[in-house]
Amino acid sequence: MKRYQKELQRIKENCYSNQWQIDTVIGLRNYISNNFSEKLNLNLFSRVRLVSKYHLLRLFKRYYGQTPNQYLIDKRVEEAKLCIQNGLSVSDSCYAVGFESLSSFSSLFKKKTGITPRAYQKSNFR
Amino acid sequence: MKIKLVSVPVDNQEKALDFYTQKLNFIKKIDIPVGGGNRWLTVVAMEEQDGVELLLEPIPIEFEPAKVYQKALFDEGLPYTQFNVDDVQKEYDRLINLGVEFSVKPTEMGTTKLAVFDDTCGNYIQIVEILE
Repeated sequence: MKRYQKELQRIKENCYSNQWQIDTVIGLRNYISNNFSEKLNLNLFSRVRLVSKYHLLRLFKRYYGQTPNQYLIDKRVEEAKLCIQNGLSVSDSCYAVGFESLSSFSSLFKKKTGITPRAYQKSNFR
Repeated sequence: MKIKLVSVPVDNQEKALDFYTQKLNFIKKIDIPVGGGNRWLTVVAMEEQDGVELLLEPIPIEFEPAKVYQKALFDEGLPYTQFNVDDVQKEYDRLINLGVEFSVKPTEMGTTKLAVFDDTCGNYIQIVEILE
């Protein structure tokens, strides 16, 4: 067995031996990914998975390297880019992907992409 | 400052272009002769043609350490870089049918699934899928 295969085996044994935790965080990511435009209910999710909300947040960060909220924002911004590309207005895109305020949408969009949604819209219709 | 380019060293640019476009379905973006039979040769992902370019960089013939480094990684099965795919198993099946050889079959690693193949130009390349 080559060094890389051995290394994969070592990482799997050391870091990924708890399948229940892995299934739980994959389930949470799936829930966020499929419901990003809604107001997410982590209390409901944690009750269904029989895990405390705070433990769930910690687990997600440990396995994905970012918090569920960071992932949600990334997901919403990516989806908003698609909405704008498809011709939706900036404000319609903002609400379609689940943001509740246009100003927080604009600042998060700029933080993630480097340009405002308005500038992004213009760059798509040059 | 922006990241627009990453590179993989290849032992033959023409063969590499063939593999990366015909098997991996990347698209040739820039091709400029730079003398000595070498080219500034980049490819991009079909879905992200404005995205990061991958430079298929010729290994300098007279610079032995580059060859030694690439061969050492290859001999130990270490991937030179990785690409993301939506479905590792599907991509594995597709590439196997095209005769691509894998050193690591589709394997779940925590919240990801990965596999590693030989790019026939001196490198192992990992493909990874984020499970959700």
